[in-house]
Amino acid sequence: MIKVEQLTFAYPNGMPVLENLSFEIKSGEFVALIGQNGAGKTTLLKQFNGLLKPTGGTVRIDGIDTRNSTTGILAQKVGFLFQNPDHQIFLPTVAQEIGFGPANLGCSREEIDRRVREAAAQVGLEPYLNENPLFLSKGQRQRVAFASLLSMRPQVMVLDEPTTGQDYREGIEIMEMVKALHRQGHTVIFVTHDMELVARYAERVIVLSQGRILMDDTCRRVFYQPDVLRRTNLFPPQIPTLVQKFDCYQEDFGTPLSVEELYATITGCGGEEYVHCS
Amino acid sequence: MKPVISIEQLSFTYAGSEHPAISEISVTVKPGEFIGITGPAGAGKSTLILCLNGIIPHFQHGEYRGRVRIDGVETLTMHCAEISRKVGSVFQDPEAQIVASTVEDEIAFGLENFGVEPDVIEARITDALQRIGIEGLRHRSTTELSGGQKQRVAIAAAVALRPEILVLDEPTSELDPLGTKEVFEVLKQLNREYGLTIIVVEQKINILLEYIERLWVMNGGRLVADEPPRRIVNQPELLTDVGLQIPPVSELMYRLKAAGYYSGELPLTVDEAYWALLKCRGGKR
Repeated sequence: MIKVEQLTFAYPNGMPVLENLSFEIKSGEFVALIGQNGAGKTTLLKQFNGLLKPTGGTVRIDGIDTRNSTTGILAQKVGFLFQNPDHQIFLPTVAQEIGFGPANLGCSREEIDRRVREAAAQVGLEPYLNENPLFLSKGQRQRVAFASLLSMRPQVMVLDEPTTGQDYREGIEIMEMVKALHRQGHTVIFVTHDMELVARYAERVIVLSQGRILMDDTCRRVFYQPDVLRRTNLFPPQIPTLVQKFDCYQEDFGTPLSVEELYATITGCGGEEYVHCS
Repeated sequence: MKPVISIEQLSFTYAGSEHPAISEISVTVKPGEFIGITGPAGAGKSTLILCLNGIIPHFQHGEYRGRVRIDGVETLTMHCAEISRKVGSVFQDPEAQIVASTVEDEIAFGLENFGVEPDVIEARITDALQRIGIEGLRHRSTTELSGGQKQRVAIAAAVALRPEILVLDEPTSELDPLGTKEVFEVLKQLNREYGLTIIVVEQKINILLEYIERLWVMNGGRLVADEPPRRIVNQPELLTDVGLQIPPVSELMYRLKAAGYYSGELPLTVDEAYWALLKCRGGKR
């Protein structure tokens, strides 16, 4: 779905922010992109919908070279949810906001209405279609922004720190919505500093450091290599950190990511044998 | 010990709003306490912080009831400049509060505004940088700092004014995990070594419970819990009732304890959980 080959990018008059990146993301993957402040995560995300274009190498979306395309075309393939919903909301009603993209595509009135209703239903905003987004809560405004990318029916969803500035419950609600869309076949790429969230949702993790890929592996393998993570100012979530304090953790606990997994392992062996060699 | 902050029956409703942002809050803070505030969105956390540094009622319009006293003096009767000598503030976005082009100038800015003598300013800058542990950044340009460094510069600028109290509103929300830890390490040191009273609003509950001594949980404008972290992890419903969670390692041991596999204290940190898990051996035979 996304094919990045020897991608290099520098802002005008600047040092390269991304250097010689190559990777592929297949249709239907759920990928977390992590790394310290300034690692180049947002810069990389913006390559996927053509907001930024490579200065070297290529980025192909569904076979289309982003340099030969426009954000208007790419927005139908890649939806982008920014960190702050207020940076992308600008119309006086929720319905207009959600319908803005399809209207720009030249959809008919009926088609726009259909897409607005469908997208609003996906994020639970049907009761608010005639409200002004400004009077909604931050969590609801985030849903408006989310619905306006869904109305473009993109295959890929790119989310830049979707839970920052939200409380725990709002954050989980957004991620559960994303998870439901992933189950319907969407490709998801998200950026976050919250490693507990990564452990809970991502299947694959790409670790970025100073514009290069430090690791690209399953969530479990990434969080069981803490030495590599530390080089980019990150720490594994609490459960993998705890388990790795034991010398023979693999034998005793395996490689759990969640409270549930570790609890099941401990209680499964009767609470007697699991720390024997540590 | 006399309280450094005393809040009595405090309520505030923003002009144009129908519902109070905070309602009937009564609480006192002793000198040298390190307090964390958490709660869901819209709980009133930021409003309470604005009542402590005097922005409410001095700059924000609305209906203000009750009292906030700093060192026994009501903030309503104090000048804002007077309040800012006692209460230093650090906000979410370091970009929004840094005004100068070098770290040194940034720290000097507040001191100059307070009319501090030039030779004293020099000493205060050196002292503030030392206290925060960022002497090496003194001559750096503020634009080239990392997020964690910027936020520590903002804290140094507040500390240089020698406040008795430091209030911080989600100071780590823009920071990566290491930057977050750096900020909390600095706060811990300021609290332990200099006895600074610290009140910090934070969503990252794992790190918050590791560092603070007392947690205020807010919901719907009210203070719904005021407990030390150890009690919080023993009563997870104090957080789960308002849509928040205790840290994963605390939850693990809580569940093992409830199921009879463990009988000791519940851990607040990963290190504590390691020792708890060792003791878990043979917990149920």
